[in-house]
Amino acid sequence: MKLKYLYLILLLVASLFFTISWAYSTQPKVINILMPAPFADSTSDLIKRYNDEHRQNIQIKVTRGPRETEAVSDLAISSLLLGRSSFDLILMDVTWLPKYAAAGWIAPLDSFIEKADWESLALGARIGNSYKGKIYRWPLAADMGLLYWRKDLMKNPPRTPEELIDISLKLQNEGKVNYGYVWQGRQYEGLSCVFLEILNGFGGKWINNSGDVSIGSNQSKEAAKWLRDLIDTGVSPNAVTNFSENESLQIFSSGQAALMRNWPYAWAELQKPSSVVKNKVGVTTMVAKKGYETTSTLGSWGLSILSTSDKKEESYNVISYLTSEDAQKELFEKNGYTPTSTSIFKNEKLIKDFPILNALGNALEVAKPRPQTPLYAQLSDVLQRELSSILTENKNINDSMNKAKEKTSQILLASGEIE
Amino acid sequence: MILLLLLPATVLIALIFGIPLIRYAWISTHAFSVITGLELVPNQGANWLRLINDQRFWQDTFQTVRFASLSVSIELLLAICIALILDQKWRGRGITRAISLLPWALPTTIMALGWRWIFNTPFGPIDQIFNIVGIESINILSNPNITWIATVIADVWKTTPFIALILLAGLQSIPNDLYEAFRLEGGKPIQAFFKITLPLLRPYILLAVLFRLAQAFGVFDLIQVMTGGGPASSTESLALYAYLNAMRFLDFGYSATLMLGSFFLLVIACILSWIIISRFQYQLNEEKT
Repeated sequence: MKLKYLYLILLLVASLFFTISWAYSTQPKVINILMPAPFADSTSDLIKRYNDEHRQNIQIKVTRGPRETEAVSDLAISSLLLGRSSFDLILMDVTWLPKYAAAGWIAPLDSFIEKADWESLALGARIGNSYKGKIYRWPLAADMGLLYWRKDLMKNPPRTPEELIDISLKLQNEGKVNYGYVWQGRQYEGLSCVFLEILNGFGGKWINNSGDVSIGSNQSKEAAKWLRDLIDTGVSPNAVTNFSENESLQIFSSGQAALMRNWPYAWAELQKPSSVVKNKVGVTTMVAKKGYETTSTLGSWGLSILSTSDKKEESYNVISYLTSEDAQKELFEKNGYTPTSTSIFKNEKLIKDFPILNALGNALEVAKPRPQTPLYAQLSDVLQRELSSILTENKNINDSMNKAKEKTSQILLASGEIE
Repeated sequence: MILLLLLPATVLIALIFGIPLIRYAWISTHAFSVITGLELVPNQGANWLRLINDQRFWQDTFQTVRFASLSVSIELLLAICIALILDQKWRGRGITRAISLLPWALPTTIMALGWRWIFNTPFGPIDQIFNIVGIESINILSNPNITWIATVIADVWKTTPFIALILLAGLQSIPNDLYEAFRLEGGKPIQAFFKITLPLLRPYILLAVLFRLAQAFGVFDLIQVMTGGGPASSTESLALYAYLNAMRFLDFGYSATLMLGSFFLLVIACILSWIIISRFQYQLNEEKT
């Protein structure tokens, strides 16, 4: 009798041992992704489903990064500098890519990518993923600068810089709004994005295709002058020089402004019950002078595989899942993330449910990247400094833009980027 | 024997101060950036030449010095008053002491974010008060002449308790008999403050000032969160510039040069303030004799 129990216990222990060792040997590979907190939240459903389906093979683990874009980069860089980073994938902003690629931190994806998949991407979504002819990033969400306008206050949105000022002043004089146009004038990356759109609209370039610096051109001076005129004429509040996206959105959603420059995320915010302009807002692209093209600064987030990852194939599998058309659709419907595939922009049913999709598609078609060089952060820093001093210190525009040109050339020369 | 006992501390200091400094010095003589593929390439002091000719470095030095000196001076004055009050015996002193430490206990980034909203135009309370009173709103955070003062105010609010705490400890070390003797001799309270309190508090003041100078000189988080260095780079500190070079521009060679450069400046600032405060004591002694 006692022996029987002993056998039973032995059997139990043995089976337990085998279960544990089996579980251990078939432990799934963990793919660790670093994402800014808002992205981590919005992809959590997708990731949960993936983990349930792939319980045995691959598990995605998301590290919630900070909210602010550059703070995420700081975190990533700190881990990368230590050598072996614990991340396999990083959700990257478009401006980091050349820097990370030049530092050798991210791996080219060309060997994984099917040509047909690449071509399914909208043209605007294909930009900003490559460095020196190799693809390093697959876009998760497109992002581009938009001009939000109040449908209840104007019939058509302004298309030229002059119209924008005229319409604004008229509405302000009639007492319908406190301010005409709100944008991002704080000394930070957003100011460069705002300026790039205006610069293009005035026919200017930051750095042209052959690498020549054209920031000191007359067009760039006119563009800078127009931004300052916005403040001087009262079309934009004085405080706009300390606005980032959030402050602009606050003013616009409280109905105090007729026009706003912001990213697509603002659309979802404007549809919330707390917004007084719900259902009164249209979306288009930035104004441009007659004869010049309207453009929108390309933002866009995408996934890159770190060079140090030993699970590149599995990581790419995760990328494919998170950027599949179904995932894009879900992220668009739930969170307003701009899709990247052409087919989604053509999806009749989706367009009917979300009329903004058309405007987003149009903006993506005219999206322009910021200069794609590892030195971008320096160049943008120079531009922000000079623009901020034009806007807040009333510095001479001519001098400031010439100085921007001189500094930009110095940076590029010192690095051997231009001869 | 004494030397032997000093050994562990010396080794520890050498490890945590000496080695990084030497490494910084080493990096500062090399090109070490994303352009060199994150390899160290000797560049014969080009970084140092660049530093000396870098207008922005000197501009940031000026900003850092004016920020540090103004905020530390105000903090010191306020802290002496607070310490004197907290040193007296009155009901509720214990809880007041605890409360007065709160600003210092808060994480800098959080309080900096708070101040950013307080000074915000047009949503912040200060702007609202201006509106109610009927003063035209000044854009506190986007006026290059004013913004740096706003950062000083935030810094004063945050770190005055720290100095007050050090000075309070100093006050408590002064024996009461001294004051009693002084009073019996017919001295007035004001005189007692200048003849007894201040001279005996001197080492504590020196300690607090050196601590705070070093901290204020390396100010980073407060500025980064509150203004990001703007407007027109008017609030950019040396530490922020070094950070930009390292983390944003991936130019570690120049960043190390900046850090070392500002380290030398800080050493000079500390020596100067040490001399000034010691001299102050000397004069007081002169008066006594």
